[in-house]
Amino acid sequence: MEASRAARRPWYRREMSARRFALFLNLPTLLFLGVVLAYPVVYAGYLSVHRVGLAQLRRGEFPFNGWDNYARVLEDPLFWVAIKNTLIFTAITVGAEVVLAIAIALLINQTGVWTSRVTRFLILLPYAIPPICNGLIWSFLYSFQFGFLNRILFSVGLIDQPINWAGNPDTALYAVTVPYIWRTLPFAIILVHAALQGIPRDLYEQAAIDGANAWHRFRHITWPMLQQIIAIILILRTAFAFAVFEEILAITQGGPGDATWVAAWYSYKITFSPPNNFGMGSASAFILTLMIAAIALVYMRTVYRRVTL
Amino acid sequence: MTDDLVRKWELSRRRVLAAAGGLGLAGLSGNAFGQPGGPWSGPPKSKVDRVNFVVWTYGDIYSRIAKQFEADWGVKVDSTISAFNDHPTKLATMFAAGEKIDVSQSSPFSFPNFVAQGLAEPIDGLPGAADYIKDFTPFTKQVATIGGKTMGLPYFSSVWVWNYYADMLEKLKIDKPFATYDEFIEHCVKAKKDGVSRYPVLWVAGVGLEQLPGTWYQMTWNRGGTFFDKQGNHMLGAGSVARETLKWWANTFEKGLDIADPESLKVQFTTSAKAFGAGKNLYRGPNHHYGLNVVNDPAQSPIAGKVKVHGSPGDGKTMGVTHVYFLSSANRDKEWAWKLLQYLGGKTKDGNYTQAISLAKDAMLGSGYNSVMNSDAVKQGWAPWGDVPAILGIWDKAAYIGEVCSSVYQPWHFPWTDQLNIEVQKCLTGQLTADQCCDNLIKGIADAKRKV
Repeated sequence: MEASRAARRPWYRREMSARRFALFLNLPTLLFLGVVLAYPVVYAGYLSVHRVGLAQLRRGEFPFNGWDNYARVLEDPLFWVAIKNTLIFTAITVGAEVVLAIAIALLINQTGVWTSRVTRFLILLPYAIPPICNGLIWSFLYSFQFGFLNRILFSVGLIDQPINWAGNPDTALYAVTVPYIWRTLPFAIILVHAALQGIPRDLYEQAAIDGANAWHRFRHITWPMLQQIIAIILILRTAFAFAVFEEILAITQGGPGDATWVAAWYSYKITFSPPNNFGMGSASAFILTLMIAAIALVYMRTVYRRVTL
Repeated sequence: MTDDLVRKWELSRRRVLAAAGGLGLAGLSGNAFGQPGGPWSGPPKSKVDRVNFVVWTYGDIYSRIAKQFEADWGVKVDSTISAFNDHPTKLATMFAAGEKIDVSQSSPFSFPNFVAQGLAEPIDGLPGAADYIKDFTPFTKQVATIGGKTMGLPYFSSVWVWNYYADMLEKLKIDKPFATYDEFIEHCVKAKKDGVSRYPVLWVAGVGLEQLPGTWYQMTWNRGGTFFDKQGNHMLGAGSVARETLKWWANTFEKGLDIADPESLKVQFTTSAKAFGAGKNLYRGPNHHYGLNVVNDPAQSPIAGKVKVHGSPGDGKTMGVTHVYFLSSANRDKEWAWKLLQYLGGKTKDGNYTQAISLAKDAMLGSGYNSVMNSDAVKQGWAPWGDVPAILGIWDKAAYIGEVCSSVYQPWHFPWTDQLNIEVQKCLTGQLTADQCCDNLIKGIADAKRKV
């Protein structure tokens, strides 16, 4: 009776279903994400299949050129050098971040180890430094004849000749990973530390009663409980490391030679250096996006799914 | 006595009449009495509330000239100022985004590309333009004339010179700087062997348009080579001067004689002058003459006053460039944009080349105008930093960079230079041989042409 009365009401006076209500609540966020994220991605995709230079952008007329931009990117040897460097950079930075984040988070989580608020603040400080400033700071540190790093190593007797950290093709890529890890590590530490705080203390107490040592407690309690957050860190950090740009710009500008050309630097140079090929730059950025999406999918299907099931 | 007075009065009256007549004629002709009567002194007919320029940074020259423009014409000047390397990006993004740009500037390396993409408008036929063109130096004519049209006014000119640290040379008991490339090597090897300098030469070989490429261009030109012939064919093949020069150059780095400062591959023209000021190197160059303005400035250099200018070996052939200001095709009002362009690259309301003269006096920059280059602004303005007759002597032996590497006139020069920076740095760091490097660059010409 009640139901049939409700059914007779006009649609706008009927009780909203849970699904519709959820959609209604999420609409502002969806609209925001659509404008801020989806539109640029779709627009980049559109540009990537058109011939787009400065004059075309100014006129707003883009001749369609199919997959030509993609073909030109994929046949450019420099693009593959950039991809190789990006993969090395990502593997080093993400691996180091995960290991260091767990180690540092475990350390500051120890009740027996006292860390002051100042220490905790200092641990988090690098994350607050703008990436380009971080790059500039480290470019001064790495300076060959006048850099602070060589001076310290020299004064403690570890080197007798200055090392050309960022100017030697054999070390430059590794040199750029350090500032990047230094800046982004706090983010991973926060996540791991938060996850550690969520592990019930009584699990450790019971394990201690059963005679488990520190390694066993870590292996059988901490590690399984951290896997979910580590999967998230892997996904996020891989995506960000793939798009590294500021440290490259400030420290090496891709050099020496092509030793530190990474994927985002490639897209930037193709797009913003004359002849300003926005179409080809968009194509290279889109290829990078697809690669990140593929890796994220692999993570989701392997690591994340395994730890959440 | 009275007669004398009358005579004087009559004479005086005649003089007054003659002078008045002369003034009238001068007013008609517009330039006999000077500069205030020229086209630069009158206001445009149209009205604007503001104008703007997009430039790369250089001291406070732009805030000063903007203030002068505002004071003279009552029109606000907005400025967008970036670092030198970021300027093409800034300009391109503003242009692409549809923003108004009245005036901008360009290095000779990116200018043909900007013109090809429609960023610049010709200035031929604008009031006073013909007078400027008559006063252009040969360098300016070469950079500003594209497709038979005049596309800009000069910002500044410079020539490539060497610098040496006189005290270090004296310490080495060498009475004069090198006269041949063999002598150059001898001096550097001796400086290293005697422990006077670990890295005797600081090359200006950071990635860029005129650092690393410019060093190679200049040394190749000095040895009698070029990069392209008059028909546009490359001159990078086996046995070419450019290739042999690169072999010689690469041998000065770590995997060869190890006399080149490793910082060479990072420094730009100004930072190299600052680094040289630390007094750790014997030679610097070849690069812009105005590096002396930094390295001989007591506020910036501990060895100020001890760095001397030196010409190139052999017949002293060197090269030079002129950078330009141009009228943007995205201007809000052509008359006012032209007025602003003249403040940056031509004459101010008072008829003076205010900016060019200031640049000579404050920054040791050469001018793209013959009248300024021949003036005391250069002779006296440069004197605090270097031996002016010596620099002007080097200037006389300089050819425009377009003769050395004619691809600078082509839109594909910029992407080719991107590759050149990578390949040559790989060669200098021992990852490639000079032969491989030149072979890659030859292949790269076709790729660069396809990119534009």
